[in-house]
Amino acid sequence: MEALLLSIRLSLTVSAILLAIGVPLAYWLTFSRWPGKFFVEAIVALPLVLPPTVLGFYLLIAMGSNGPLGRFWQSTFGHGLAFTFTGLVIASVLYSLPFAVQPLAASFESVDRKLLDASTVLGAGRLRTFLRVILPLSIPGVISAIVLSFAHTLGEFGVVLMVGGNLAGTTRTVSIDIYDRVQSMDYAGANQVAVGLLLFSFVVLSIVYGVNRHLGRRIWSPWPAK
Amino acid sequence: MAGEMTKPALVLRIQFDRSPQANSKFVLDVQLEFDPGVTIIFGPSGAGKSTLLDCIAGLLHPQQGKITVGDETLLNTEGRVNLRPEQRHIGYVFQSLALFPHMTARDNIAYGLAHLTSEEQTQRINEILAAFDIDSLRSRKPRELSGGEQQRVALARALVTHPRVLLLDEPMTGLDDELKTSITQDLLTWNDRRKIPILYVTHSHEEAAALGGRMVFLKNGRIVDQLAR
Repeated sequence: MEALLLSIRLSLTVSAILLAIGVPLAYWLTFSRWPGKFFVEAIVALPLVLPPTVLGFYLLIAMGSNGPLGRFWQSTFGHGLAFTFTGLVIASVLYSLPFAVQPLAASFESVDRKLLDASTVLGAGRLRTFLRVILPLSIPGVISAIVLSFAHTLGEFGVVLMVGGNLAGTTRTVSIDIYDRVQSMDYAGANQVAVGLLLFSFVVLSIVYGVNRHLGRRIWSPWPAK
Repeated sequence: MAGEMTKPALVLRIQFDRSPQANSKFVLDVQLEFDPGVTIIFGPSGAGKSTLLDCIAGLLHPQQGKITVGDETLLNTEGRVNLRPEQRHIGYVFQSLALFPHMTARDNIAYGLAHLTSEEQTQRINEILAAFDIDSLRSRKPRELSGGEQQRVALARALVTHPRVLLLDEPMTGLDDELKTSITQDLLTWNDRRKIPILYVTHSHEEAAALGGRMVFLKNGRIVDQLAR
C-alpha cells in the first residue's frame, strides 16, 4: 500500500509539472518558425527511443555527488539528489516529457489556423488567442497528455531503479515493490500489488477517457452541412 | 467647396511575392484606392483575391508597398511600418467564416470587444444583433446554426468592433439567392450609417449585381480592368 501511494504521489507530481512545462514547450514547438526547431524536437523525443537504463544511468551520474546537478543541489539545499523523492521526480519528468508534449503539440497543431487568424484580426494578442481559442479547443489533447504522463510515470521501472534505488517510503514505487516480491518468491504478495495497480490504472483511465469523450463530443460535433 | 478633393478611405500599393513560401510562382502587384462603399473584387481562382485581403488585414506581409486607412499607415515597407493584424482595426469575414466552435453566437460577437466596459459591450452587441436579426440566436453555438445564420453571426462579429475597413472573402458561398439578398440588404443598410470601404470578393455575378458599387477585376495578381457603377 505504501508503494502504491508513493507511486500515485510521484505520478501526480510529475503530471502537474509536465503540464506546466509541456504547454509552453508544445506551443513553441507548434508555432515557432525557428529553423533549428527540429533539434529541440529530437531532444524532447529522445526518451521514446532511449532504454530507460541509459537515461537513468546518465541522470544518476548528473545527480551524483560529483555530477553538476548533484553538486548544485548539495550547495543550494544541503543534501544530495540521488536516491531521493525529488531526484525521482526530476528523472520521471525528463523520462515522460514526450508523453506530455507530443499530444499537446498535436492538438495545438490541429486547431484550424483560420480561427487563429480570426482571433488576431479581432484584436486579440497571442496570449489571449491561446487562452480563449487554442487551449479550449485542445482539451482532449490536454487530457491525453495528463493521462499519458500519469500512466507512464506510474508504470516506470528502469529509470526509477537507477536514480531512486529501493528505499521503502522514499523511492520504492509499486513496480519496484512487485519486482522485489517476485525476487523473494512472494508471488501472492506480488499478485496482490499487481492487481491493485491494474484495477487502479483501469479505473483512472476509464474515468479520464469517459470525460474526454464527453468533452470531445461537446466541442467537436460536426457542423451541419451548408 | 467646388474642386475640393476628398481623400480616399483606403489607399494601397503592394507587391507580394508568394514564391519564397510556396512552390508555385505568384506575385501580387496592385495599386488601388477605395472610397466608402462596396467594391467587388472579381477574378478567377488563383488571381490573388484572398491574398489581397490577407495583405490588407496584416496576415501576409508584402515585400514592398504602403497601405493607409485615413491618416493612419498600416504598412510602409520603406518606413519599416508594419502594424500587426490586431492593431489594424479591420473587419474580416473569411470564406470558412471561422466562427469559434466552442463559443455561443453572443460570445463570438463579443470576442473583439474585450477593450470595452461590459455596459458598452452589451450596448454594441444588442445593436448588432438587432441589425442582423439574430437576437434569438445569441445562446446558440455555431454547430446549432444554419448556414445563413452562421453568415449573419460572422458579419455581426466583424462589424460590431466598428472596423475602418470590412473585408469579405466569398462569405455567401453555398447560400440560396433569397438569403443572399436579405443578408446583403442588411449589410448595405448597416453601411449607410457607418460608411466604410467594403471589399467584397466573389465569383458570383448575381452577388456583384445585388451589391452594386465598383468592380475590380484581378488576374494573375494584376488588375486587368476596373468598372465604376
